[in-house]
Amino acid sequence: MINAIILSYTTFIYFIAFFLYLLFMVMGRPFFGRLATAATLVGLVAQSFAIVLRWIESYQLGIGHAPFSNLYESLIFFTWTIIFLYMVVEWKTKNRTLGTFVTPLAFLAMAYASFSPGINSKIQPLVPALKSNWLISHVITCFFGYAAFGLSFALSIMYLLKRMDTPQKKNMFLKLIPAQDILDELNYQMIVIGFLMLTLGIITGSVWAHSAWGSYWSWDPKETWSLITWLIYASIIHSRLVRGWKGKKIAFLSFVGFCCVLFTYFGVNYLAGLHSYAK
Amino acid sequence: MKKEKAKNRSNIIWTLFSSVKLTVTLLIILAMVSVLGTLIPQTNGAAEFAKTLSPALRQLFVSLDLFDMYHSLWFQMLMGLLTLNIIICSLDRFPATWKRFSKSPGPDRKKPFERLAPEHTFAIHTPRTDAGSAVHDLLTSKYRKLRAKETGADHFFCGERGGYSLFGVYLVHLSVLLILVGALVGSFFGFEAYVNVVEGETVDTVISRKTRTPIDLGFEVTCDDFSVDFYENGTPKEYQSEVTFSVDGKKRMRESIRVNHPATFEGVTFYQSNYGTVPGNTVHLTLLKGGTESEAISLKAEPGKSLPLPGGEGTFSIIDLRANIMDLGPAAMVSVQPRTGPAMEFWIFRHPERAKSLLPPPMLNSPKFNASAFAPYTFQLAGLDTRYFTGLQANRDPGVSIVWMGCFLMVAGLFISFFTSRQRVWVRLSKTKDGLSVAVAGTCSKNPVGLQRELDRLTNHLKQIFQKDQAV
Ligand code: HEM
Repeated sequence: MINAIILSYTTFIYFIAFFLYLLFMVMGRPFFGRLATAATLVGLVAQSFAIVLRWIESYQLGIGHAPFSNLYESLIFFTWTIIFLYMVVEWKTKNRTLGTFVTPLAFLAMAYASFSPGINSKIQPLVPALKSNWLISHVITCFFGYAAFGLSFALSIMYLLKRMDTPQKKNMFLKLIPAQDILDELNYQMIVIGFLMLTLGIITGSVWAHSAWGSYWSWDPKETWSLITWLIYASIIHSRLVRGWKGKKIAFLSFVGFCCVLFTYFGVNYLAGLHSYAK
Repeated sequence: MKKEKAKNRSNIIWTLFSSVKLTVTLLIILAMVSVLGTLIPQTNGAAEFAKTLSPALRQLFVSLDLFDMYHSLWFQMLMGLLTLNIIICSLDRFPATWKRFSKSPGPDRKKPFERLAPEHTFAIHTPRTDAGSAVHDLLTSKYRKLRAKETGADHFFCGERGGYSLFGVYLVHLSVLLILVGALVGSFFGFEAYVNVVEGETVDTVISRKTRTPIDLGFEVTCDDFSVDFYENGTPKEYQSEVTFSVDGKKRMRESIRVNHPATFEGVTFYQSNYGTVPGNTVHLTLLKGGTESEAISLKAEPGKSLPLPGGEGTFSIIDLRANIMDLGPAAMVSVQPRTGPAMEFWIFRHPERAKSLLPPPMLNSPKFNASAFAPYTFQLAGLDTRYFTGLQANRDPGVSIVWMGCFLMVAGLFISFFTSRQRVWVRLSKTKDGLSVAVAGTCSKNPVGLQRELDRLTNHLKQIFQKDQAV
């Protein structure tokens, strides 16, 4: 299980990256920023390598399947997508401040996957219902959606922090955060990308459910919560486009939206527990 | 007067349903209702949950349909409001969008040039007609629509592309309607049912999940074979049913159904959903005479058929057979008819040790559970032939293709409205003292950053063309 070892190193690398991004913003030295980017890139490459390795290992075990099949693997993939998407945004915007807010998300997800006692990092065989190419497209699209919403969440926090900045203040950390309208615009772009991906994710999930069980929508808690998330982001898009909501309101709604994402991902398992009323 | 009032009222309704405020409200109400739906168990777990509530509360929940809210009237009315909202809103806005799409601005508009960026203007010395045709050629190669106009000292060109981008939103909204219509069609004209088919047997009805009543298929389904594969650790790897569909006894289609690989016949789709076993027709028995293994006799019996005992003491038969009784595993009820006297009946188990450890002693001591009741024989159940049955989900849903069409349209519409934009570019050639001045400007329906990039590209392209001209 060499992949799990590489992955636990990656957790550590993302923590270092976070520390470097933070140092960059507190001290205002671009050198640390470049170092942070390098560390994140190393983490991303190592993680990609480990995911591929895990894929190959599953074939060597004779139970070959894409590594997106249980909570451990999905957390790893979630981290991968969020870091990947962040690297693209950093490269496009030439701004590193977002890293300070995104790398902790990646680090926490990885740490949870690697160290939580309830999470099994073994490669497990797939039950028949999970053997579907639709499932693979479902996982990939959903997680890109979640990652985009994660970035939007981070941008919302930055937006709210930036509001505390005034020309008189000498706080380097706040000064380095881009201007509010830039954050707002980028935030909306992330919401739009996330919405498209979540839509695709729900659709591919429905196609899969339809081929596995004959019903494309059965209102089970996970499905319903993904719909709730989708509805929240749809109302964000409408309130912005048509009612002209901007800035603080959008940041707040994006916050709510990401809470729904988290609940869809983790909370639903708890709900399923609620359903067993055995006392 | 009356008419006026009616008009006013319809105006109010129109305004309400064309407002996006209502949309956002409805979307948020739907979200909150769905949250409630995941907190209150629906249909399956509802009965158990209802027991934990006080009678008054339970009554309230029932009258509000809270245990099956997604099929309740009020939920459907909510969907109806959303549908009306989308339709009215689209009707309200479409004429304006169509106008924006079809009406081209005059090519000599001044407005786009009001905020002309310095880097988008440059001077050239090419003759005016040559320059004009060069611009014309470049713009026609890049833009679908192109119009030009000369006004005194200036020569204007206006190119446009991506006009379809204005309709992306309508595609998205239409797709929402299609999905809702598809779901409605499915719930009116479709059914969800299941059926268990034992290997080798044939069924022609399935059982509705909603009403628990049989539905006549109009054709027959035979399970020729069922198999299940396991991984080394014992979890199932693959289930597979070989199924033949026939009409009036005539074989029409043979299919193998696996999880994720359903088969469709005459509009009904069959999905592999579960499986199980039923007792077969052969029972393997071991008779111990005098309780010693040396005198063990193996026998095969069929339920209901009586067999002579080996020593001619009488006959016996299997009168009941269970694949799994009270979680104790397979069991058979033996009836022994001695030559004289009354018949005796008792259960024998495939796993007597398990039965012994789990059944209460008074029960065990009753003659009903004494496998040695007929001395000197002890009956043992050595094995059962079992047959698999395959559990198939059988659905008819004529709305599903409409839903998939809606999904496709939604993705296409989202793509168009998020990532495309209508761009219009203007190029102005104006006479100056010593040649021509070229100016490039533009407008777009969204994505101003993309427009700036496009204008940069266009300016560079034009510069290159004119530089080449100058070099010759
Ligand atoms: C679940 C249902 C709905 C979904 C998924 C949805 C989706 C969308 C999306 C994605 C956009 C953004 C398009 C863009 O970026 O240009 C949009 C815009 C819009 N939607 Fe909806 N919508 C829904 C319901 C409605 C309803 C009921 C109305 C009726 C009032 C409505 C009115 C509008 C309007 C006016 C715009 C702005 C168009 C523009 O000016 O660009 N939407 N919708």
